[in-house]
Amino acid sequence: MSQYIPNFIIPDALLLLFPFIVIGSRLFCDYKSKIPWRIANFGFIAIFILLNLIPLASGEGRFFISNWRVDDFGVLMREVLMVSAILGMWLSKDYFEHGADGKPQMHQIAEFIGAIAFATFGGFTVVSACDLLTFFLGLEIATIPMYALTAWNKQDQMGSEAATKYILMGSVATAFELFGFSYLYGFAGSLHFNEIQHAITNGTSPLLWLSVLFLFCGIGFKLTLFPFYTWAPDVYEGAPTPVTAVLSVTSKATAIAFLVVLVYGPLAPIQQQIAPLIALLAGVTLFVGNLGALKQSRLRRFMAYSSIAQAGYIMVALLGPATMGKTAIVYYLFVYAVSNYLAFFIFGIIGHHREETFASLRGLSKQNPSLAIALAISMFSLAGIPPLAGFFGKFHLFFSGASTGHYVLVAFAVLNNVLALFYYLQLIKSAWVDEPDGHLTPLRLTKRQRGVVILLSIAVVVIGFMPFLSDNIFAGFNL
Amino acid sequence: MNLLNCLILAFLLFGIGVWGLMRRRHLIGMLISIELMLNAANINFISFAYFTAHDATAGALFSIFVIAVTACEMAIALAIIVTMYRRHKSLDADQLRDLHD
Repeated sequence: MSQYIPNFIIPDALLLLFPFIVIGSRLFCDYKSKIPWRIANFGFIAIFILLNLIPLASGEGRFFISNWRVDDFGVLMREVLMVSAILGMWLSKDYFEHGADGKPQMHQIAEFIGAIAFATFGGFTVVSACDLLTFFLGLEIATIPMYALTAWNKQDQMGSEAATKYILMGSVATAFELFGFSYLYGFAGSLHFNEIQHAITNGTSPLLWLSVLFLFCGIGFKLTLFPFYTWAPDVYEGAPTPVTAVLSVTSKATAIAFLVVLVYGPLAPIQQQIAPLIALLAGVTLFVGNLGALKQSRLRRFMAYSSIAQAGYIMVALLGPATMGKTAIVYYLFVYAVSNYLAFFIFGIIGHHREETFASLRGLSKQNPSLAIALAISMFSLAGIPPLAGFFGKFHLFFSGASTGHYVLVAFAVLNNVLALFYYLQLIKSAWVDEPDGHLTPLRLTKRQRGVVILLSIAVVVIGFMPFLSDNIFAGFNL
Repeated sequence: MNLLNCLILAFLLFGIGVWGLMRRRHLIGMLISIELMLNAANINFISFAYFTAHDATAGALFSIFVIAVTACEMAIALAIIVTMYRRHKSLDADQLRDLHD
């Protein structure tokens, strides 16, 4: 069999098959059955393990039918996306058992997991694309399930409003991207990345610049960059909490991967010329995200602004040389996924008993100290405080940006980090310092929640305290 | 008919789409505007494929894929809009204001 199907394609093929199996298994089980859930767990974890078995090979990567490239960046991005899918699945499980945060209970867990798997496969497609058509289809496969996931709770009015806003904005973004793609095709006369790169090396034209402008507008919507970020807080607040978590990690990782593939692939010859545009977008985005987060009182809205700012930080790394930029971005996305999911798990636990607001965090340190410690770990990591994982992630991002001499932007980003620290500290303050008003409902943790919170806290601390892990990642391969 | 005419037509259609999206307050009207923008891109692809590209099949194929993808997207959009309609009994975009700062 292996002469027809090379090894490195197996995880992708399994992931494509996986949602059909999970949804199909529903047909043969009754409504309350746990079998689809077990199949989903087994499948996701098996695919993740298989992905880790793919040996990293530097250079061009390996090709499947000439148009499906599996390179090191692709494999590592796949691992980040799978981590996000597994954690999102575990986070969502409780929402199918009872309602939370004033929203009714959700139904159809098998289809929900199937939709997450499709979105993850879209991310896989984006990182392995070699031509504009595959690239476009990947982005759409990653986005369309997200619209459905946002509106999953049909009884919840906020959910359908958020989904309406999301799909209107998302479709406009698709139109902009497509328009950009069409000009890029007109400029190069071909859809293949190598030929586009070749055409750009031979000379530029106004058509190319117009195309770059449209592409950045389109991806700006999906990545929540500065002028196009306004949908994000509304959608993050209206969507069910597990969907917000998946949106903020999977969807963001896919959008970043899109930019990385584009900037270091077909647009590589003009990276220096578009650097000012990237720098401007990065600087304004992280500033706006930080300013917006300052005055929030609802947790998911706060996380939306926080993730807008994080998108700005990640953009800084796009200014660096290819290898350094790619490694920094993959490493940071991994750290960001772990820290973000830790925060969302804690918010989810609180949301099962109270509203998801800052006020609900009061008295957490007395009521459940270990949860308060986990919250502090996740917030300090997102803020980038030295011993934790977030610091090394941000350090590499800024180092990549600084290595091509964008010192002003890096200094601005570091100053903004101080601003960010202020609002992350506010959240920690409400958990540790503020006295609760009145009686608090006790927090009950299920075994899964406790296990995942402990696992993620350890991961954040260990990645931070053992920087040689990241050094190995950086030295071990060549993207 | 030459390439420039087609490009200008596509650009105008795209502009009409953007304009319609901003002016319309009716959700279906907004969806139609988005459809206009997507089809403007299709016209671009087809005219580039017809007039200049050395890889003409790819451009023509791309527009077919775009039509299919757009159909999926619109199916989901209409489903979401139906749930909105059941709740509010109207399709006015101004009613989208329960979520705000």
